[in-house]
Amino acid sequence: MTQEFWKWPESKWVSEKIDWKKAKKITAGVDIGTTSAQAAILCDGQLFGYANIATGADFREAADAVIQGAMGASGMTLKDIGSVAATGFGSRNAGYAAKTLDEIQCHGKGARFMFGPSVTTVVDLGGQTCKAIRLFEWDRIRDFKTNDKCAAGMGRDIEVICDILQVPIQEIGEKSLQVENDPEPVSTTCYAFANTETVGLLREGYREAAYTENDVYAAHLFAVAWRILSTVGKLAPLDVGDIKVYKELAFTGGLAKNKGVTKRLERELDAAALTSEYDPQLAGAIGAALLA
Amino acid sequence: MENLKEILDGRHEYAKDWKKRTGGKVVGYYDVYFPEELLYAAGALPIRILARHEADDNTDRQMYGNCYPTRDMLNQFMNGRYDYVDGLIDIESCQWWHNACSTTLVNFPGLFSHYFFVPDYPDGRKSKDVMRSEMGVFKTRLEEWLGKTITDEALDHAIEVYNTNRNLLRQVYELRRFDRSVILGSEAMEIVLACQVMDKAEANKILEKLIPELESREPHGDCVRLMLVGSETYDAELEKLVESLGANIVIDELDNGSSYIWNNVIPQKDRLMAIGLRYLGRPHSALKDNVWRRRPERIYELFEDYQADGVIIAKQIYCHPHGTDMYAVWKLLRERNIPYHTFERDSTMPYEETKLGVEALINMIKPGMTRLYGWSKA
Repeated sequence: MTQEFWKWPESKWVSEKIDWKKAKKITAGVDIGTTSAQAAILCDGQLFGYANIATGADFREAADAVIQGAMGASGMTLKDIGSVAATGFGSRNAGYAAKTLDEIQCHGKGARFMFGPSVTTVVDLGGQTCKAIRLFEWDRIRDFKTNDKCAAGMGRDIEVICDILQVPIQEIGEKSLQVENDPEPVSTTCYAFANTETVGLLREGYREAAYTENDVYAAHLFAVAWRILSTVGKLAPLDVGDIKVYKELAFTGGLAKNKGVTKRLERELDAAALTSEYDPQLAGAIGAALLA
Repeated sequence: MENLKEILDGRHEYAKDWKKRTGGKVVGYYDVYFPEELLYAAGALPIRILARHEADDNTDRQMYGNCYPTRDMLNQFMNGRYDYVDGLIDIESCQWWHNACSTTLVNFPGLFSHYFFVPDYPDGRKSKDVMRSEMGVFKTRLEEWLGKTITDEALDHAIEVYNTNRNLLRQVYELRRFDRSVILGSEAMEIVLACQVMDKAEANKILEKLIPELESREPHGDCVRLMLVGSETYDAELEKLVESLGANIVIDELDNGSSYIWNNVIPQKDRLMAIGLRYLGRPHSALKDNVWRRRPERIYELFEDYQADGVIIAKQIYCHPHGTDMYAVWKLLRERNIPYHTFERDSTMPYEETKLGVEALINMIKPGMTRLYGWSKA
């Protein structure tokens, strides 16, 4: 069997410390995205279990599988969960959810849970959309911006390019950071153009004198970061005169696990992103569970 | 209400029927600076060309890169939807519309056509004289084409009919205010669009009956009140999406929405000058809001008057005038702490993505509607 370079590891986890039967309030959130689906279950406000799987072609099947994955072998059933909220592009496929919520508020809420209450800027780096969210000091959204219809520079783009370049998706980021100086980015207009240009760089023996594959990865991921920056840059600035400040920054979504993108974003935004013990891909599901 | 909706949906049948009933000519136009009164006084029916959300396999080879409404205009002509139209007026407008009009005329050379120049600086010192001169040229062309003289009495009648129509539509817009909000955004948009594709005298009769009916409605309950700003719109799909999310568009600043009805012709002895001044004095479109940049302040005034909570800016993709203008609007909205969401429209819109942005805006506003103006102090 040929290696599927694009494939990222699916995961699931159930707490051994929490006895869900003693919990007064159990809520769940599911985030059915275009490329991945997550579910998170909270018992009295604490993370009890989660699952993170590829959505695949059948959104309904993914919605069912992901919530089952989060409940694991704990013995919990859907009937035991007080309220379930769904978010994401495929949220309507979670027939068991009592309500659907928009991803912006879910990611804002989830980021505060995962990264702490100081977060003011959240950048959700999803499979096909990028959402930049600015939060007030209290629990409210102040501004948000999303990318245009085009999915250029988002998670799906990275999956495709990893398959084309035959580099495992978990490694492309780190490898791209091994270059001394970032090369010129490839096209930022369209991911089809970017991919063609990236493959073209390889074919032409990119930078004749000092050609490495890492340079090609860096050129591609730098373009992805530029694309995301254009969305983040449209956010209402924080109140420091005309200077845009991105302090207390958090990245969520699958692409947040790609250091080649996040490090470049941090560099361009002149900010160090907050870190969390949780998988950044879970933000939407955790936010939905908090709002359920 | 149903009458107007039927006419809007069946606008081609309406126009064909009108021709049969009156024996008059039907003339298409697309730009809101076109002085319809003059054509109406000549006994012709001016109809606005409205774009549709349809797949287009005709126009890419002729107008690649144009915005979708302009491509769709040519597409509809090529598909025979406007086969009853006798003429097409080209107005000094954005380059895409110009291109669409000239390409349509190349494909349909039998159509009566006229290029009507409207000064790009409507407030300029010489603009009114230029406009008056253009009105005179157009009047002469029309008289030659139709073989009749456009009398002062006919002009007075046209002014009267059009002023009445605008007054009635303003009354409809009054029913969107906070204290007597009895009409949905989608209904208001369908009413104002229907009036652009039909005989205004007939529209007035329907509106005179409709307005008392609307006034007798119970006001809507509290909901997020939104304002719609941006490129022209051709249907009420966006308004319906907003309504499906529990909010309402209560005012717009669109060329073929509020700006189409906001000012009247002030009669004077020189009828052509009077009509010309009405068009120069209308709320500026993004294309003609040069030098003084008055649109952002007008948007803010309407936002305040109609007590909206947030703004949706919907720009047609590749629309240059609104692409340029948007930055001035964003600046003002940010300075005044008004929540807004911008997105681009195309011939088709991805429902989920459009819904996501609108829903997030509504949810952003909802919890603090009454505290909206306290945000900046936080």
